[in-house]
Amino acid sequence: MPLLAACGGSDSGSRDGTTSGKDAKKILPAFVASNVVTPDIPARNGSAIGFTAKLDLATLKTSVPEKLGKGGKVTVMSPFWGSPPKADNAYYQGMNSLIGVDVAWQNQDGNTYDQKLGAVLASSDVPDVVVVPGWNMTGRIPSAIISKFADLGPYLSGDAVKEYPNLAAIPTDAWQRSIFGGKLLGLPQPSPYVTGIVPLYRKDVFDKKGYTVPRSADEFMALAKEITDAKAKRWACLDMKWTAWQMFGVLSGSEKPLGWNLVDGKLVNRVETDEYLEALEWTRKLFAAGVVHPDAELGKTAPDPGPKFAAGEFLIYANNISQWWGRTAEQATQNPEFRIWGMDVFAHDGGDPHLWAEQPAGIFAFVNKKASESVIRDVLAVANVTAAPYGTKEYMMTNYGVEGTHYTVKDGVPVKTDKGNNEVLNAYVMVASPAATIAHPDFPAVAKAQVEWQQHAGAFTKKSSFYGMQITEPARYTNLSDGFEQLEDDITRGRKKISDMQQAVSDWKSKGGDKLRDWYKKLLDDNGTAAS
Amino acid sequence: MAHSTVPRSEAEADETANTPAAPGGEAAARRKPPSGRLSLRVRFRRDRVLLLMTLPALLLVLVFSYVPILGNVVAFQDYDPYVSDNGIVSILHSPWVGFDNFQRIFADSAFWGAVRNTLVLFGLQLVLYFPIPIMLALLINSVVRPKVRALSQAILYLPHFFSWVLVIAVFQQLFGGAGLLSQLLRQHGYDGLDIMTDPATFKFLITAESVWKDAGWGIIVFLAALASVPTDLYEAAAMDGAGRWRRMWHVTLPALRPVIALLLVLRVGDALTVGFEQILLQRDAVGPGASEVLDTFVWWNGVRNQDFGYAAAAGLVKGVVSLGLVLAANKAAHLMGEQGVYKK
Repeated sequence: MPLLAACGGSDSGSRDGTTSGKDAKKILPAFVASNVVTPDIPARNGSAIGFTAKLDLATLKTSVPEKLGKGGKVTVMSPFWGSPPKADNAYYQGMNSLIGVDVAWQNQDGNTYDQKLGAVLASSDVPDVVVVPGWNMTGRIPSAIISKFADLGPYLSGDAVKEYPNLAAIPTDAWQRSIFGGKLLGLPQPSPYVTGIVPLYRKDVFDKKGYTVPRSADEFMALAKEITDAKAKRWACLDMKWTAWQMFGVLSGSEKPLGWNLVDGKLVNRVETDEYLEALEWTRKLFAAGVVHPDAELGKTAPDPGPKFAAGEFLIYANNISQWWGRTAEQATQNPEFRIWGMDVFAHDGGDPHLWAEQPAGIFAFVNKKASESVIRDVLAVANVTAAPYGTKEYMMTNYGVEGTHYTVKDGVPVKTDKGNNEVLNAYVMVASPAATIAHPDFPAVAKAQVEWQQHAGAFTKKSSFYGMQITEPARYTNLSDGFEQLEDDITRGRKKISDMQQAVSDWKSKGGDKLRDWYKKLLDDNGTAAS
Repeated sequence: MAHSTVPRSEAEADETANTPAAPGGEAAARRKPPSGRLSLRVRFRRDRVLLLMTLPALLLVLVFSYVPILGNVVAFQDYDPYVSDNGIVSILHSPWVGFDNFQRIFADSAFWGAVRNTLVLFGLQLVLYFPIPIMLALLINSVVRPKVRALSQAILYLPHFFSWVLVIAVFQQLFGGAGLLSQLLRQHGYDGLDIMTDPATFKFLITAESVWKDAGWGIIVFLAALASVPTDLYEAAAMDGAGRWRRMWHVTLPALRPVIALLLVLRVGDALTVGFEQILLQRDAVGPGASEVLDTFVWWNGVRNQDFGYAAAAGLVKGVVSLGLVLAANKAAHLMGEQGVYKK
């Protein structure tokens, strides 16, 4: 039933739409499962697979028996959250010699990546590999992706992928998302479809002060007021907008197509819903109550939250689940009291939350169209190492670095060193990853809690109409929603009013939002929905 | 006006002495009346070394200022830079839309908001910033001891070499919501004061930052002008019984007048350019409503949202208005009897 909607067969043709069904099957790589280590917690409710048992570091398996890299040089531009290490550090050297490719990283600030991407792609000097998160695919970026990046189909479609066993083990729904304009362009980072944004809090301080984790919007507000003591330089939290989306069950804003959902036969956009306004209003009240750390007022230019969270200047912030373990490892040696934990998602009224699924792959690495075949092969060699599953030497190297330099082994458990915390960060994990995995042999309790958090949230997660699809909107609508994120932040910080948002939504409808709705409706009618 | 004639005739005397002083000792040229009536060939021969020396700068201006102007054609297009790897090919492949982008701009309240912010900031900077380097130069000029003078100059120049990121970080540490000032207030029982994120006072903040960073640097031109005032003028004035203030009013300030007029003309011509990096870095802190100026508007729509044709149209509007302003300011300078930027 599902068919090709309107994807670009040629460069000059129309590029908008999606690719599904038979057409997708022709280009998708074959799936060959790898079972190096059986997970202790299998995936459920859209969670990652979890490993909590002790890992025998002495008997790690090898998933890449011989180096596939041919010693070429590959430049990669990628978003980086935190402070990037020196270009020629021990981790990059170790990875490069393991792969057999000289990867040169061009790390850019992840928070303002959208501001660089458009300019870099418009230049004639595009790096060999560019990592693009889905949430940065705004404006004309999708069009740039389709025209600037190489078709990996000839190297990966069908059985060709078997040359790269770790890539063959990447789940098909992640590959499905890597099809842009009818071609396989991306190397995906598979992710759980459960939301990745966790309200993280300082469990050690909560325990000491006797704070209880809130279960409703009102409880959160009351707690926030209790925590805040500006005189002592302590605030409750940072901007909790993302948590508010979850509390009020607002459709996902991480990608444009996820913002649409079919309700009683009519597609509704997240900005048109009452929940959206309610969540904004609640966040506005939070700011107005003075319980938000002043840094959060700065918006995207705010400094890295890590040091001030560790110093206890604020106790709660919403961020990616990976920070749960990242901050734990980072603080473990110098700050043994420090404990960061995730709050289970709750509904604003204290009842069951309503969450919306994220895409099963949200970050992609693309290869420059001008790259030669040998460069493409080298990039795939990189990806085949970074996509190695847990329990292999390659996974250990990608996620923990070099033994003795980036981690030491104590009682059979890897313990990251300061150097490890500084250097083994972002970079290689951005190229391609194994099926969503949570495994922290150094902190198995954190790994267990992370998977349990996902499974709890997953039980309340529904899929919206365009889940799983990779959709390129028609060029004439690309700038339609540009202003919303800014307006959200203006409202929550008290600079604009909720009525300004209502006005913006009605402008959006008349300027093309309603036509875009029709376009999505037709896409849905033609392709059906992937949601099950 | 009598007081101003002295330094001005001085300057004119300088000029006539300078122009024919071409290298090579062209005695013939020297005897002829000053430039303008010589044939092009003779003038070229006379000034060839000077012309040669300006050539590299001319080339830079051509390549980096004039050639890119041609790119403004995208203002009349729905420009998509991604259709090819080459900007020119992309222009050829992008559809022409006539004046659509301009129509959109004039109907866009965000654009008019940016215009308003730009003009308000320009006015504030003119009143609060422009006089400060002059005052500083007069102060420095009155310092007699060379060591003290060199030290204070160094201290005044230093902030110019800090990047905006650093300047704003320093301001944030001092005046931010969790900064030194706020915490001090809280210690003493008052409410904290977040100067860095207050849209109402943002324009004053921007001006204050500029003053701190660049006012010291701005005194160089004035110091040079002050150094050229002959000391005998002061002596003569003193002999006539002029005190400190009268000497400053009748000797120093008139000497600075041409420079002030020139810089004022340049500043007015640049009125729509009120800072880019500085404002962009703080855009999120107060929101675009208070902070968006024409340059950040262009950047945001073009580079961030990839709506290049639209951004180019806004940039073009700004360029045309700026050209008008510089012509008008120059005319005004002539009417006031000053040199201005150029003369026909």
